Amino acid sequence: MNNVVDISNLDIGYGSRCVIRNVNFSLKQGEMVGIIGCNGAGKSTLLKTIRGLLPKQRGVVKYMGKSLEEYDDKELATKVSYLQQHVEVGFGYTGKDIVMAGRYPYMKWWQRESKADEDLALNCMSYTGTIDLADRPVTEVSGGQKQRILIAKVLAQQTPIIFLDEPTTGLDMVYQEEIFRFAKALAAKGKTILMVVHELNLAAKYCQRILLLGEGSLLADGKPQEVFTEALLSRAYKADIQVERNPLNQNLEISTRISQEDREKEAALLDKIC
Amino acid sequence: MMLKREYSSVALLFLLGLLVVVGCFSLTFGQIDVPVQDAMAVVTQKLQLPLLQEVQVTKEQLAVIWYIRLPRMLVGMLVGGALGASGAVMQGIFSNPLADPGLIGISAGAATGAVLSIALGTATTSMFAMPAFAFCGSICAVCLTVFLAMRNGKIPVMTLLLAGVAVGMLLGAVTSGVLTFMNEQKLQQYLFWMVGGLDYRRWEHVYLAAGPVLGGICIMLLLARHLNILVLGETEAKAVGMPVVKFRMGLLFVSAMTTATSVCVSGNIGFVGLVIPHMMRMLLGPDHRVLLPASALGGAIFLVFCYSLGRIVMPPAEVRVGIMTALLGSPYFLYLLRKMQKSVFL
Repeated sequence: MNNVVDISNLDIGYGSRCVIRNVNFSLKQGEMVGIIGCNGAGKSTLLKTIRGLLPKQRGVVKYMGKSLEEYDDKELATKVSYLQQHVEVGFGYTGKDIVMAGRYPYMKWWQRESKADEDLALNCMSYTGTIDLADRPVTEVSGGQKQRILIAKVLAQQTPIIFLDEPTTGLDMVYQEEIFRFAKALAAKGKTILMVVHELNLAAKYCQRILLLGEGSLLADGKPQEVFTEALLSRAYKADIQVERNPLNQNLEISTRISQEDREKEAALLDKIC
Repeated sequence: MMLKREYSSVALLFLLGLLVVVGCFSLTFGQIDVPVQDAMAVVTQKLQLPLLQEVQVTKEQLAVIWYIRLPRMLVGMLVGGALGASGAVMQGIFSNPLADPGLIGISAGAATGAVLSIALGTATTSMFAMPAFAFCGSICAVCLTVFLAMRNGKIPVMTLLLAGVAVGMLLGAVTSGVLTFMNEQKLQQYLFWMVGGLDYRRWEHVYLAAGPVLGGICIMLLLARHLNILVLGETEAKAVGMPVVKFRMGLLFVSAMTTATSVCVSGNIGFVGLVIPHMMRMLLGPDHRVLLPASALGGAIFLVFCYSLGRIVMPPAEVRVGIMTALLGSPYFLYLLRKMQKSVFL
């Protein structure tokens, strides 16, 4: 299979401050890949830089063999869609307004959305279970509903590559898993998914491949069972990480391990406080 | 209470009808009351339209309607439309419901231009001198604001607003400084301009404002769909392929130019650009394809209504339109502020 995304020798950061050096990886069609790492490791920065939302410091980003700089804004938006971490929608825009925004790259500047665009937007909303929210202002819906509306927008953009930046942050367990299921179903349909993930257990369960960021570089790139090792995760998260396989469903389960010494320290401090 | 979107074209037609009614009201009432039919007859006869040709109008009526009330009403409609549409665009660009065309230094720049024109004495030599100075002042102020706010080709909204405040203060200081050296007569002249009004507006002012205002509103209407995307925020707009800086700058300059034109023909008129887009958004929803024409029509209606009301509220004196819009607009604005804590429009 051909690579749809090629990243080589990429340095990313803000201004002159470099956050991650020398990133190299490729994505194939239909892959579902999770980016993990501790807070501040540069996961979202990496995703934004690859999408062209932040300037890169060095290196090459290619989509379908063509470098990022050769794409104009609209053409790129027909190849890659991006769901950002926090979206604040004011002014009483409805769910349908948001999803219809996904059709923007396909329209000439003077055109209006066609009936076909509207039908597609409504189908995307039906798929994500938000059709009932089509005419409701987004400010009136819950966090989970808003996220599903935004996923419908990403779907309406009809791109072969989908970037999701922490799509499950702030959502309850049911919504979190639902979003991973959506992503997996889309990958099965041939879309390439690259997502920043915080929930390691869900990443282990759903992602085919994991990119682990830590120590200012791409520490590991491989299948979940190759990356989710105690040694690698402990290095990346600067903590003692424990990885176990659930004997019932064979899923990997990741948690932190606290040493006896730390536990005693904490207990002593708690005694002082309480 | 928001109107369903299917009815938005009906609502726009209603606003258009209301504009005609307010226009007739403005032509009819005043120190000399002229019957509607006679007022219409003056217009149709002057334009040589095959309508109401048989109605006899007096010379006095002709003078009052054609040379006094009609140009003032048309200037009022143009200025109101410009302020309403520009206000809606500014609120969209800044994703901030409290944004106003005056926020990025337009009014302060116009005031500095006007005061310089008066101080240099050019305002008395030509009627176009002060509008031209005011216009240049506003455009310079906007350019300075944008230049100060721009970083690496990006204009962060908050920086732009703060830069607008700083430029406004700086120019306010320049204006005050020049004012302290001016004589009584020139101060009066400045005050007269400062309290925005439509009195002494002539056909020349209509010709002066018509092109830039109507052109500006047309461009804004053409870009309304893009504004809907821009309102979702910079990242969201970029993610769907919008060249954000290009559109933001373009819309900013069109609305700044339109506002500057209106400020230079009528002085500073507050609250139209702030209150009208708000009201229209509450009634017709946030889609700029409806909101922009509605705000333009609403602004025109509100301004002409305030002007007409100012003429009849305490005769024979006229309350200037800038005072009327502030008197009617500020209580509504305060009500909005109170209500907005719970509102979805924030």
